[in-house]
Amino acid sequence: MIYLDNSATTRTLPEAAQAALAAMTGDFFNPAAAYGYGARMEKRVNEARAVMAKPLRARREEIIFTSGGTESNNAAVFGSLKGWRGHKRVITTAVEHPSVFETVASLGRTGDTEVIVLPVNEQGYPDLVALRDALTEDTALVSMMHVNNELGTVTDLFAAGRLIRHLAPRAVFHADGVQAYLKVDTDSLGVDLYSLSAHKFHAPKGVGALYVRSGVRFAGGQMGGGQENNLRSGTLNVPGILGMETAAALYQQNLSAWRQSMRLCKQRLYDNLMSIPDVVLNGPPLTEAAPHILNLSFLGVRGEVLLHALEPFDICVSTGSACAARKAGKNRILTAAGILGERQAGAIRFSLCPFNTVEEMDRAAQVIAEQVQFLRRYRRR
Amino acid sequence: MNNNALVVKYAEIHLKGLNRPFFERKLVEKIQEALADVGPRVVREQGRIFVYDLPEEGLQAYARRLTKVFGIHSVSIAAYGEKTWEDVKAMGIRLMEAYREEPKTFKVFARRADKRFPMNSEMICRELGGELLQAYPNLKVDVHHPQIPLTVEIRQDKAFLYTGEILCAGGMPVGTNGKAMLLISGGIDSPVAGYMIAKRGVSLAAIHFYSYPYTSERARDKVVELARLVSEYAGNFDLYLVPFTEIQTTIYDKCPASETTVLMRRLMMKIAERTAKSCGALALVTGESIGQVASQTIESLAVTNDAVDMPVFRPLIGFDKEEIIERAKKIGTFETSILPYEDCCTVFVPQHPVTRPSVDRLRASEALVDFEPMIEAAIRNTEVIAISHIISD
Repeated sequence: MIYLDNSATTRTLPEAAQAALAAMTGDFFNPAAAYGYGARMEKRVNEARAVMAKPLRARREEIIFTSGGTESNNAAVFGSLKGWRGHKRVITTAVEHPSVFETVASLGRTGDTEVIVLPVNEQGYPDLVALRDALTEDTALVSMMHVNNELGTVTDLFAAGRLIRHLAPRAVFHADGVQAYLKVDTDSLGVDLYSLSAHKFHAPKGVGALYVRSGVRFAGGQMGGGQENNLRSGTLNVPGILGMETAAALYQQNLSAWRQSMRLCKQRLYDNLMSIPDVVLNGPPLTEAAPHILNLSFLGVRGEVLLHALEPFDICVSTGSACAARKAGKNRILTAAGILGERQAGAIRFSLCPFNTVEEMDRAAQVIAEQVQFLRRYRRR
Repeated sequence: MNNNALVVKYAEIHLKGLNRPFFERKLVEKIQEALADVGPRVVREQGRIFVYDLPEEGLQAYARRLTKVFGIHSVSIAAYGEKTWEDVKAMGIRLMEAYREEPKTFKVFARRADKRFPMNSEMICRELGGELLQAYPNLKVDVHHPQIPLTVEIRQDKAFLYTGEILCAGGMPVGTNGKAMLLISGGIDSPVAGYMIAKRGVSLAAIHFYSYPYTSERARDKVVELARLVSEYAGNFDLYLVPFTEIQTTIYDKCPASETTVLMRRLMMKIAERTAKSCGALALVTGESIGQVASQTIESLAVTNDAVDMPVFRPLIGFDKEEIIERAKKIGTFETSILPYEDCCTVFVPQHPVTRPSVDRLRASEALVDFEPMIEAAIRNTEVIAISHIISD
């Protein structure tokens, strides 16, 4: 199988699965339990916190564990607005993941919240001039995606953060880092909240984290037993957390080699595919974009049909984010970037992982070239 | 203690003459099938079917299951007891106890199938009515529009009392009227067409054409799910999944663009007819209605019909789209039909299809290619799925 849909999810590393298994069948204890076994689990979980915090140059206390990207994003939005009294403005971008976009949109339907959606340019970069103009004293939250899941665009969070601190000092700045964490540098982002999800970097599904800068206005997510400093109640998913820790640690140890490998594969795939006539790159130039996401339009072919045509060859790609892939009609992200018509219909997202090989890129490109040629014979007439 | 049973009244079987026992036996069989997990005792007796030994707590749900069994006019949840006046009176008072506090109107209806019972129908109504008025002062009699119709049936060995009936689907028991092959697409219409034909007692088989990679696995799963929903009424049947890509691309390559869709339908009909013959089906069923789309104009239908010798039943032929949607919602297939995994064969749909094709022209266009080997290959590579009829409440 040539799996090129790593932005949808990744294969769990055996080491991570092993760590999770050990935390289920061996040290299965509740970290909140009063006896020694519990205390030792709590210590292990706090070590995992430190590992997760490192790429963000954060302190371990600033990491709270969640069930994944969607929960982190929901908690970020609701938790940062909970204490706000009176009229407020919430700013986000047109290319956010549904777990931010829909959540913020739901606020706009209540009375005293004004939602501003920033446009993006054709490479998917949010318009920072529009951000500057939109920032007000009563802006309570700005939420921007770090790496776009469909186009690979890397938002300049640092620049955005500077504007926010000057023009909207009471605003909480959240970034959805689900596609960015470990793939691009995250050590000087200047954000207050940052979401991440384990299954995007070879750890199990159903676990993730939210970075909460100490001192930021954040009332927390789900309520209950008061775990995670009362910011996220619920028994900790220790198997998931330790699996995530293991995968994150391995990623950090191999960081530059793994990123380099993805970059090489992406370049190779791109070079191969661009030799097919009428193929257009969507998103920023390769060197600017995240190392693992490549979005191309095969004009005259429907992306959905090409995707299915690759199935018998055991090649998995996507026409867009899996969270939106089942909805019929337009692709919101590409539409926002002005990628329309034939170009939108023919778009395919390739997303890589460190374990893809150059040989896979050559083989995939060869099959794609053949299939594109075949499918182009049948255009609507 | 409570003795409860379901009293089943037939629909059209009443009209049958000498072969009536055949229809009745079939209906008993279908009722047993629908309640197979509880295995009740089902007894046929003079124009009624009685279902005994059902767990009391699920009676409503079991009765509702029978709304999906064709051949039934209505089901009532009845109390039964000995054929004595004392028992009838006691059951009546117990049944009406639910309305003790409410000022409701009622009327007693009585049917005496066993004429040996000492009271005639009129007497039963009068006496029981009087007892009830005395027991529950809030009740009033209304002989024209009673809120609670209380029915007493004196049968051969027991008396049954019930206060209402659940209307069922009607029609005739599936399996009493031969077998037909339904062309099922994944849209709104064909499941409704299948439902309507099955309702006339016809067993089904179904056939679906897919064009990988133009259609996806999810589109296929959707058709399987639609077939399953239809089978809740029609009983178990076989679904034939036919690979159709080669024929479609060949039509595209070799035949006039504007005729693509009609040609495609002719070839589908041919494959459906052969498959029908091989499994003992005597007719084809489609969800077409006149004029809904270009391929369903009266000319197009004539051209499609011309492709086969078998009768083609189109139960929706005179229906508006709105009416079809309403039925699809009622039988529970609509929500699945509108899932967005529509076949993405739009490349093969011409921008300007012929709306008035002629039989001669289309025969000529079809003769441009020798489709026979492709038809044979499609039939050879057809996959058969047994659609199983699992009752869902």
